[in-house]
Amino acid sequence: MKSKGKAMKVIRLGMTVAAVSLLAVATGSISTAATHSSQTVTISVASLIPGSTKAATQQFNNQVAEFEKANPSIKVKPVEYQWTGPTFAAKLAAGTLPTVFEVPFTDARALGDNGQLADLTAEAKALPYFSKYNKAVIAEGTDSKGQIVALPKGAYAQALHYNRKLFTQAGLDPNKPPTTWAQVEADAKQIAQKTGQAGYAEMGKDDNTAGWILTTLVYALGGRMETGTGTNATATLDNPQTVTALNMLKKMRWTDNSMGSNFDYGWSDINQAFAAGQVGMYVSGSDVYTNLVQASNINPSIYGLAPIPLAKNKNAGVLGGGTLAAVRPDANAATRAAAMKWIDFFYEQPLINKAQAIRNAKTLVASKQPVGVPALPVFDKAQYDLANTWIKPYINVPLGQMKPFTTGIFSQTLVPEPEASTQSIYHSLDAVVEAVLTDQNTDIASMLKSANSAAQSAIKQGT
Amino acid sequence: MIAFSFRRRIVRSGGEAQGLVSPADWRRPRVKWGLGFAQTLLLVWLVVIGLGPILWLAKSAITPTQDTITHPMAFFPHGFAWSNVTQAWTDVDVGRYFWNTIVIAIGSWLSQILVATTAGFALSVLRPKYAKVITGLLLTTLFVPAVVLLVPLYVEIVHPPLVHHSFIDSYWAIWLPAGASAFNVVLITRFFDNLPREIFEAARIDGCGPFRLFVSIVLPMSRPILGVVSVFALLASWKDFLWPLLVLTDPNKQPLSVRLPTIQSQTELGVFLAAMFISCLVPIVGFLIFQRSFLRGGGLGGAIKG
Amino acid sequence: MSTIDPVAAPVEKAQHAQMSKARAEAPRLRARRTPVTWARNGGLSTLLFLLPMLVIFGAFSWYPIVRTVIMSLQDTNLVQPATWVGFANFSQVIHDPQFPIAVKNTAEFALLALVFGYPIPLVAAVVMSEVRKRRGLYSALAYVPVVIPPVVAVLLWKTFYDASPTGVFNTILGWVGLGPYPWLQSQQTALPSLVLESTWANAGGTVIIYLAALTGVNHELYEAAAVDGAGLWHKVWHVTLPQLRGVLLVTMILQIIGTAQVFLEPYLFTSGGPANATLTVLLLIYNYAFGNSLGGNYGDATALSLMLAGFLAVFSLVYLRATRSWSSG
Repeated sequence: MKSKGKAMKVIRLGMTVAAVSLLAVATGSISTAATHSSQTVTISVASLIPGSTKAATQQFNNQVAEFEKANPSIKVKPVEYQWTGPTFAAKLAAGTLPTVFEVPFTDARALGDNGQLADLTAEAKALPYFSKYNKAVIAEGTDSKGQIVALPKGAYAQALHYNRKLFTQAGLDPNKPPTTWAQVEADAKQIAQKTGQAGYAEMGKDDNTAGWILTTLVYALGGRMETGTGTNATATLDNPQTVTALNMLKKMRWTDNSMGSNFDYGWSDINQAFAAGQVGMYVSGSDVYTNLVQASNINPSIYGLAPIPLAKNKNAGVLGGGTLAAVRPDANAATRAAAMKWIDFFYEQPLINKAQAIRNAKTLVASKQPVGVPALPVFDKAQYDLANTWIKPYINVPLGQMKPFTTGIFSQTLVPEPEASTQSIYHSLDAVVEAVLTDQNTDIASMLKSANSAAQSAIKQGT
Repeated sequence: MIAFSFRRRIVRSGGEAQGLVSPADWRRPRVKWGLGFAQTLLLVWLVVIGLGPILWLAKSAITPTQDTITHPMAFFPHGFAWSNVTQAWTDVDVGRYFWNTIVIAIGSWLSQILVATTAGFALSVLRPKYAKVITGLLLTTLFVPAVVLLVPLYVEIVHPPLVHHSFIDSYWAIWLPAGASAFNVVLITRFFDNLPREIFEAARIDGCGPFRLFVSIVLPMSRPILGVVSVFALLASWKDFLWPLLVLTDPNKQPLSVRLPTIQSQTELGVFLAAMFISCLVPIVGFLIFQRSFLRGGGLGGAIKG
Repeated sequence: MSTIDPVAAPVEKAQHAQMSKARAEAPRLRARRTPVTWARNGGLSTLLFLLPMLVIFGAFSWYPIVRTVIMSLQDTNLVQPATWVGFANFSQVIHDPQFPIAVKNTAEFALLALVFGYPIPLVAAVVMSEVRKRRGLYSALAYVPVVIPPVVAVLLWKTFYDASPTGVFNTILGWVGLGPYPWLQSQQTALPSLVLESTWANAGGTVIIYLAALTGVNHELYEAAAVDGAGLWHKVWHVTLPQLRGVLLVTMILQIIGTAQVFLEPYLFTSGGPANATLTVLLLIYNYAFGNSLGGNYGDATALSLMLAGFLAVFSLVYLRATRSWSSG
């Protein structure tokens, strides 16, 4: 998911590799405890994104079968699902979301306040591990009245993904990814000149992704997109770091000519292009590898993962976010209970229950799905490290090639996404990024000024 | 006079009528060579733009993805990739979406034919007093662009009044609104208006009720216009994108037009091109078989003056 | 959704005019007005025949039209109850900085579509109408792009427009030393690229209309002109074009009405980008209604739809007048 969020309030994280993304398998204390009614409940659940491989789909179906076996009174119907800014609202309005679906950190609170997510407070508090959740993460799924409306699926930090093969071809050391933005520029230029591929590419689509990545760059330089909270927040899209970031893009695009020739990548498109070997480096969530395998059939040997280079600025930080699982507001008590069991089984148990984590890792490995993709903890750090030791024998992702990230993220400051009107802020920035990448003479200052006023009015209206 | 114009045009195109360029003109070398050259040039141009893209798609459907990306205009530099086609069929499941497309088209067609013929019959043959009012209401809808209906129709499908059951993800959400085509009703009413009324009167005197009149006399006589309406209906359904995108969110029910863009960015280029090629095959083959009705339907605009 | 079919619509317009005439001349059955005699005289079965149309149009055409007007004056997200806001939605739309951009782009699209798509089919049709052998082949070739599903056409052209030097169009143009061009990746060329595809996809239909219209040109006029010693150009200019005047006007207005509602191309090619360079009015309506992940703004969407409809109604009226004077003349 292209999920974002004001994750774990500025915490220092020491973190290692984790098996978060798809992991699941349960029973344990919760699922055996509850209902033994003869009434069959059917729930639909978000499965994989459209266009996933047969193997990934098969693996998901195996998990469903396992869940149904443990819960004979529940029928699970998998529904393919992908959260994107422009398509979510139509599904929400149409009432066609599955019973259990996923939303990014940025949206759960507002959706909860609008009455568009089921209140899961009682069920969530009954979870035996509820107290272990990272408080900042659970806050992402809590609405303004204090009701819990969503539970964490996973958290990520933004990262730099790079193609080791292109690095080698360009005469760069694939074990030494860039650690400053100046190096990113230089490496991108070298890759573009030596290989003819895009040295550095960036999402530039009108679906909030362009703004999301620009915000990541600005954070890394020490800037922020807003100050204050709620409808009283002040938009600061035109801060000096945004100007610096855009000028850097402008230089790479127009002077160095190192960004290739396609600038309208969305989240999936850029993954596809990267897997096809057309992109040297790009920024996306640290857990993207799962999708690169499931939808793009990436050759693991080309993959490299590094932390986002941070500027020497005390505010510089890495943008982090995450995904939450939520339930439709019209679910009745029985359905809600069944949905919670699925959330427990599919999203939470693999992170907290040793037996389930191992079983889950085994089924993933059996169908060649990734185990061990780097993410961030949704419980505490100790639990996270512990879970990683459980699944260690099954990890099948190229951990060695992810080492720059898994060691580097230790020392980085994690900064949550803009809190008020996140998606609207991103959307206002989309056009600015597109303009810089598609018109050499873009007036950055004036574009930023109008983006800032658009964002400010969205904040005021709470949209 | 639509009925007559058909006949007249058929006679014309079969006969040796003289056109813009007279036999005398043809004998002048400048006309002969100039026009001949223009026609040949046009033919080449039509082949390039009409067939070119399809042939490229056919070639790329069986070319390895990397070759298509790096040398899009080369002919199989590294052999074939038949796996694209099999993958498009099994993984992308093109067959299923094709079937959905056809089901949607047939349902929309039926609904349009039913509404248009019954209404046309009532307005033109039975002619109740209030026909004028209804025709007026029908004609006003012709001036309302489709976009105006988009949001309220969507809301209505999601929260229908009276029936408290969402029609989202049901084909009825496409079939039923498709029937509301004032254009079809007008076209058919016009056609019925021009059928000889003496036949109806004679049938009525023989004790033929309105239902028999409709089924045994009027419908059989209206085959030409039904053909034209059918072509319009099928083409329109084939082309529709935005409406099915909004009301069919269940991937198992979507037509090709909705499914293809959804999976594009997650599907390997070669496989995706193969899927697109398969999607083109049926309409093109159908067009080649039913060329005459297509082109006659499309050229109906020319019949207005007749 | 019923859309105005640019191919189909010319006929129907001409027909209303004549239909009312035919109706007036027709004899009417007179019946005494009691419910029983009404039913006995077939009033009931008439109603029965009208029923499908009344139900379908009532539910999916007349009711939604009224509903649009109501929604444009309300604030609603379908979850909380709607509130009346007067013309606030309209003023919000007008003050949206994206509104003038969308209007400008739509106008530019319509204009470019006329420049690209208007003269070429006419010239092609005139040349084709004089083809003596295999005329069917010509029209079939011209019509092939029309039968390709539009979504496939757009996605295929998106591949053609790949901006890298190894893109399809850039490779072909490279053979003659041109390019590479950015196509969809530049604010200057994105919109014309969309128009180019749209012209390719639709020109065949227009050619067929013109071809049919050309067969309807009164042949005696040609013969008379020939007797007067008129040359080929003279005949084209003084006979063919004036005779096609009506069809030309109608296709032009229909094309404007169609392009004013263009959605597929900007949505699938560029989602309105880069930097709003291809944001059209209909795409803006779609974004208002469905583009925000926190819920739709149906008020603004319906307000803008009504504004567009009002604008198009002007064209429709011109169109009606044109077809009327032309079909009676």
